[in-house]
Amino acid sequence: MSQLVLDGAAARRRRIASVIRRDFFALRRDPPRMIDMVFWPTAELVLWGLVSMYLQQNRVHIAVAMLLGAVLLWQVLHRAQGEVTFGFLFDVWSRNLLNVFVSPLSTLEYVAGLVLASVVKVTATIGVMSVLAFTLYGFGVLTIGPGLVPFMAVLMIMGWALGIVAIACVIRFGQSAQIVAFILVFVFQPFAAVFYPLSVLPGPVQAVAALVPASHVFEGCAGSWPAAASRGTGWPQPRCSTSGTSRARSPSCSTRSATPGRGASCRSSARRSRRPS
Amino acid sequence: MTVLEAVSLTKRFGPVTAVDGVSFGVGEGEIVGLLGPNGAGKTTTLHMVLGLTTPDSGTVRMFGRDLARHRTWALSRVNFAASYVSLPWVLRVDELLDVFAHMYGLRNPRRQVAEMTELLDLGELRDRRYGQLSSGQQTRVQLAKALLNEPGLLVLDEPTANLDPDVGDRIRELLLREAHRTGRAMLITSHNMPEVERMCSRIHFVSGGRIVATGSAVELAGAYGVDDLEAVFLRVARG
Repeated sequence: MSQLVLDGAAARRRRIASVIRRDFFALRRDPPRMIDMVFWPTAELVLWGLVSMYLQQNRVHIAVAMLLGAVLLWQVLHRAQGEVTFGFLFDVWSRNLLNVFVSPLSTLEYVAGLVLASVVKVTATIGVMSVLAFTLYGFGVLTIGPGLVPFMAVLMIMGWALGIVAIACVIRFGQSAQIVAFILVFVFQPFAAVFYPLSVLPGPVQAVAALVPASHVFEGCAGSWPAAASRGTGWPQPRCSTSGTSRARSPSCSTRSATPGRGASCRSSARRSRRPS
Repeated sequence: MTVLEAVSLTKRFGPVTAVDGVSFGVGEGEIVGLLGPNGAGKTTTLHMVLGLTTPDSGTVRMFGRDLARHRTWALSRVNFAASYVSLPWVLRVDELLDVFAHMYGLRNPRRQVAEMTELLDLGELRDRRYGQLSSGQQTRVQLAKALLNEPGLLVLDEPTANLDPDVGDRIRELLLREAHRTGRAMLITSHNMPEVERMCSRIHFVSGGRIVATGSAVELAGAYGVDDLEAVFLRVARG
């Protein structure tokens, strides 16, 4: 037996690899899953891109970079949760869970496998979306610079955490709790302030939002998309920069920024510019 | 050597005591049957033996080690197949076996998959999806998965349920051949009495969460004053 089975770290690596291999074999054999990975994010990107285009054409000042950036980053959180949860639900739906849990694979190794597989799949999804955003709207997600890395990391970790919570609900309450897997991330969406500034939320809700890691990411991103993020479409440039300060939330600043053609370098103006007014 | 030792296993689900102080053992090379009517506690007992369900009290020792403390070590030496468990239907047979060969941490997954493919005569099915196979073919794939790690103990929960008599017979034949070839221990539940009579050297009858009778098929029939195991089953099931 000892000659047949590995032990220690090598065995752990192999067991984690089994979950990743299972996930990619399933992906390869199941085209609807592949379409799901790309279709919905793309549909959302195109939809929001067209909305922002329409608003710009009607002289509603809105930063294209803000909106598209928010759509892209939201997908990081959404897909990270979805990929982890649906990796698990795949075993539930195919009545394979018992086979997994009577194997030497530990719970930690199983989750590690799901998380690692999700990294690849989320990266692929975001890659496709980024190329599309650049091609269709001239929006370059990488122009945010190195700040993008921690932002994405926080969103991924939060997505995995929500994915694990959804899995725990299904294990504890049975298959009827699967609905949690589909809605959990959307419960957090209003608090994450994806498409508007936190200041829009009522005071007590802002306090709750402060506990949601994603809200810090989207609030931080708002001040980080450089004007150069969106170009080449003939649309007005987004009026934001990374030099935002708390002082910049003054009414005079927002008034300036709301005037087309006058670039204001303040964060709050950028956030306001994301709201159709 | 005792491969499996279950001592005083008890499991309650709310007010219901599903398993009530069950103790039994499986020795090396032995095929032990766990029989009883539906709801007797067989599957719950198997799930405790496999570490899927934590007993409220009692212990499970595998190959001399406590299962709770040495789960990974013990489960890499055990395998399982059941009629109510499936495998991912979108995966091809060779992909499924590859995944489980990795999951059991096998040193040489490719070689082991090739051996099991040959043993279970799956060569022609290897590039077909699991969901496209007949019940008999699916059972063969499940057994190939269950034998991948050459387990010291093979746990089978109603392995031939849903199979026609011909395929069922072939599966039993194969399991017996494997048991004789490798000296592998097996723990089996089944509602097919002739199957149990043919395969098991020792049988435990479970009723109401307790073991109510133990012995070989002949011994049990003698003890209950009946002709065969089916009659014993009816006596036990009807109190």
